[in-house]
Amino acid sequence: MLKSIRPKGWVVVAYLAVPVALYVFTVFAPLMAALFYSFFEWKGGPVKTFSGFANYAQLFSDEVFWSSFWHNIFLVVVCIIGQIGLAFIVVLLINSKVTKLQGIHRTFGFFPSTISAVCIGFIWQMIYDSKRGLLNWFLEAIGRPDKQKVWLNEPTLVMLLVSIPLIWQFIGYYMVILLSAVSSISTEVLESAEIDGATGIQRARYIVLPLIKNTLLVCITLCVAGNMKAFDNIYVMTSGGPGYSSMVMAMYGYKVSFEQSNLGYGSCISVGIFVLALAVIGGSQLLMNYCMTDRYDREEAKRLKQIEKERQRAVKARKAKA
Amino acid sequence: MAKEMIMTKVEDNSTSTKVKRGVLGVIINFALWFFSLTCIFPLIWMLYSSLKEKRVFNADIVGLPKEPTLANYTKILSNKDYRLMESVANSARTTILSVILIVLIAFIVGYILSRIDFPLNKPLYVMFLMGMLIPIHSLMVPIYIIFSKLNLSNHWYTLLMPYVSFALPMSIFLVEGFVKGIPIELEEAAAIDGSTFSKTLFGIILPVCKPILVTVAIINVFSCWNEFSFALILIKERALYTVPLGLRQFTGQFTSDYPKIMAAMLMTMAPIVIFYFAFSKQIIKGMVAGAVKG
Repeated sequence: MLKSIRPKGWVVVAYLAVPVALYVFTVFAPLMAALFYSFFEWKGGPVKTFSGFANYAQLFSDEVFWSSFWHNIFLVVVCIIGQIGLAFIVVLLINSKVTKLQGIHRTFGFFPSTISAVCIGFIWQMIYDSKRGLLNWFLEAIGRPDKQKVWLNEPTLVMLLVSIPLIWQFIGYYMVILLSAVSSISTEVLESAEIDGATGIQRARYIVLPLIKNTLLVCITLCVAGNMKAFDNIYVMTSGGPGYSSMVMAMYGYKVSFEQSNLGYGSCISVGIFVLALAVIGGSQLLMNYCMTDRYDREEAKRLKQIEKERQRAVKARKAKA
Repeated sequence: MAKEMIMTKVEDNSTSTKVKRGVLGVIINFALWFFSLTCIFPLIWMLYSSLKEKRVFNADIVGLPKEPTLANYTKILSNKDYRLMESVANSARTTILSVILIVLIAFIVGYILSRIDFPLNKPLYVMFLMGMLIPIHSLMVPIYIIFSKLNLSNHWYTLLMPYVSFALPMSIFLVEGFVKGIPIELEEAAAIDGSTFSKTLFGIILPVCKPILVTVAIINVFSCWNEFSFALILIKERALYTVPLGLRQFTGQFTSDYPKIMAAMLMTMAPIVIFYFAFSKQIIKGMVAGAVKG
């Protein structure tokens, strides 16, 4: 690089100062603040009393918090299967030769992921509504009015019911991502497999799937991160109810902080969300790396490590001799 | 004779595979149409149901309206208490300003981090990248505390700060990757011709980066327009409500008046829906690029 292109130091500083300050102020300062306030007993008023690790002790034994954590995990698992699994099937269908009007399916399929979660929540609330809901209307139409329920009041069903809108909303999103990956596979590979007599399912399993592995990993990561922060849909549809049976972590943090105005404990929950979400995302990455390599790869990697170790030992020994 | 038999057999086979193909094609197309229609059905259902009166809707929730009326729309628009158009204006202002700021800042920071070597380059890059990992909902409570302490809540500019900051990591990452692919000779030639750093940045690099900046803008138009949780905690004043907040009032008060809720939702969704269907190809492309690279 030419010296003359290098701007003067103060120019760089001038350009970076505002963005960096803004970013630190809205992302890192709050993290520090959450950590700070999590050590206080504070109900939002002027009185703040230092309470050490009392909030954390409460958090560890807080059944509601842990059940909402498991609800987040439930959402992650259901959505990985529902969103990415169904999206993959749709992609295979769209990509088959007999499909017509692919563009329309793509446009329509992607549509739900562009509207706000609040609207999605309202729409599905209308679908689940007991008196004027589409679901109960449908049950009556097929002659099973005995199955009608006040759907969102069923504690055992509610998590499944709130995850359906989430799945529905984002199938299209993962569909277009996977579609771009699948369409970059060269047709020659697929054609030669077809000539060799591979059936559609075999082609999907042994050719398409391995070739879009990396994109699939991206999708799973997005899905895990997205569902660890589930909030909007649930706020609109159930607010975590009935009772706590559809509570998720962000919703619980909101309730504690703003409805019970317990900001000290709310900060502590925020720290908990931060740690747990990072742990789950990191853990899922490790797990995926493990699943995506087979035994041969792992043994190969082990052997390489072993060789490298021996090499270094030899180098050291030679140095010591010299 | 034998030859003939083989011929007919082959022909038989090919017609049967043709039939199989045809049936398969019908099934596949049918399945896809089913999928597409479930995605679009709620929109259509809301469109025609919002033309019904409450009474008509309650009697028959799926039928087409026999005597379509715009009463729901006029009721919402004429009633000053809903302030729905005000919230649309607020959302539009917040979204436009946020997106402009995001594009501008991501461009400048992304370019500098990618091209200019200075001591803090690496740490700053890592700091911005870390933002992609931070679960933003863990920031809700502390941001509320900080903003209300510093009296930053409930202003027209309040939401710009979190929206811009949360969008920066991914946007900077996209720009940075794009700038790496631009030949450096471009800037060298400009420098030889006597262009200053800022002139080169905005006069030469900016036009070259247009594709990635459009992608960044598209991704963030949707996320800013639809954002709910931070608006919920930072905006308490009615006059500053964004669309998702403004819609909330309709569930509480009129839970039974579905056509009215639908009309309200359609009116607030309209800008984004029109934008989507007008540019769906570029939007989908941009979203994919953002997701895969980010």
